[in-house]
Amino acid sequence: MKAGISAKQHVKSGIVAMHHMRAVGFLVVAAALCVAASADFLAMWSPDEFHPSPALTRIDSLSRYCPSLRGTRADTRIFVYEGAASGPTLLVLGGTHPNEPAGFMAATVLLENIIIRTGRVFIIPQACASGFTCTDPLEGSPQTFSLQTQSGKRIFRFGGRAANVVDQWPDPLVYLHYPSGQQLSGNETRNLNRAYPGRQDGSLTEQTAFAIVSLIREEHVDLAVDLHEAAPEIPIINAIVTHEKGRELAANAVLNLEFENLQFALELSPANFHGLSHREWGDWTPVIPFLMETSNPIQGRLRGTTSEQLIVDGVDPWYLIAGRLGTMRITYDEAGESLSGRVGRHLQALRALVDVYNEEHPDSALVLEGLPGYGELTARGVHQYLR
Amino acid sequence: MVHLVYIGIAACCAGLVVVEMFSEKRWREQLALVLILIPLVLRILHIK
Repeated sequence: MKAGISAKQHVKSGIVAMHHMRAVGFLVVAAALCVAASADFLAMWSPDEFHPSPALTRIDSLSRYCPSLRGTRADTRIFVYEGAASGPTLLVLGGTHPNEPAGFMAATVLLENIIIRTGRVFIIPQACASGFTCTDPLEGSPQTFSLQTQSGKRIFRFGGRAANVVDQWPDPLVYLHYPSGQQLSGNETRNLNRAYPGRQDGSLTEQTAFAIVSLIREEHVDLAVDLHEAAPEIPIINAIVTHEKGRELAANAVLNLEFENLQFALELSPANFHGLSHREWGDWTPVIPFLMETSNPIQGRLRGTTSEQLIVDGVDPWYLIAGRLGTMRITYDEAGESLSGRVGRHLQALRALVDVYNEEHPDSALVLEGLPGYGELTARGVHQYLR
Repeated sequence: MVHLVYIGIAACCAGLVVVEMFSEKRWREQLALVLILIPLVLRILHIK
């Protein structure tokens, strides 16, 4: 009898030992998976390389305008170019949404090619630097894309729409915009283009917005352009959005672009939609703000394979069908919406805005050279304009 | 501060999951617990 109980206990302890051992085995597997996944995620923390043009005066960081950003992943580089003679100041922002690569790449092409005669230009290619360290969940986005440039293959990160949750977490259920009190869904609390004018003691995204608004104020920026992209089925694409202050200037620029055979829609910033650059920069600072949108298939809901090729070539068979069915507001054909064309649109429109500004202010002109336009970029490719 | 509180909560959850793994006898459930554990660990370590 005693021996029988002992045998049962042995069997029982054997089972216990087995599932304990299995748990340890699973923990080892989990640790290995964590290491493998970490290597993949941490690869996105390495900053992108920029090769500024010889006209560069200095590189600042955003934390100069909001010291609490120093040492955080939201701090980002500002490339400053100053001409020999004084003139107006232009701010160009790319990478507000790191999943909109033409904005970030247009700023990069600008900073790598610009020659400045008069005035000053501030370029922030990765405005939402934290957003470049992650991709959006459930989108299956590639983490990077590459281009064969003059100096060899260059790899650029493709990030998420908003700041990384690792840097700003948790999201509230409802995001209350400061100072308007406007209510948006909780995840918008990490969206830089819903955070303006920001606040110094706010969330990381609000601090980033505050720093950009402080830069505009302290550096007396005259013109500011925020470069974006949107899904091809969205109505506001190939568009310039502006504040009331910039309506006339933008209208003239759109007309000039029309003469150059580039169609842009002109949209006025809604007065009651808060947190956006084209609204809050105009309301809170003396700057004339603009936001530009191009058409980006990798952001669209109709897209098929989500790949690096889709970022660069912009060719998607499902959008082609949508285009043939006439369901889109833009012409989408076999040529797709290439990164080169989208960057070209941004730079051509930027040039048009500066040209109209110079016509209106002949005594204080911003003289820029070296900027490739739409024709050059589509003919030669964006990779030819990267050092 | 809220961030630290949430990280603390995630750490407690990870601890409970590990304890549960050792008391669970069925391998399928243990595997399910591992799948819960991985994102918790990555979040606690500020990786993802």
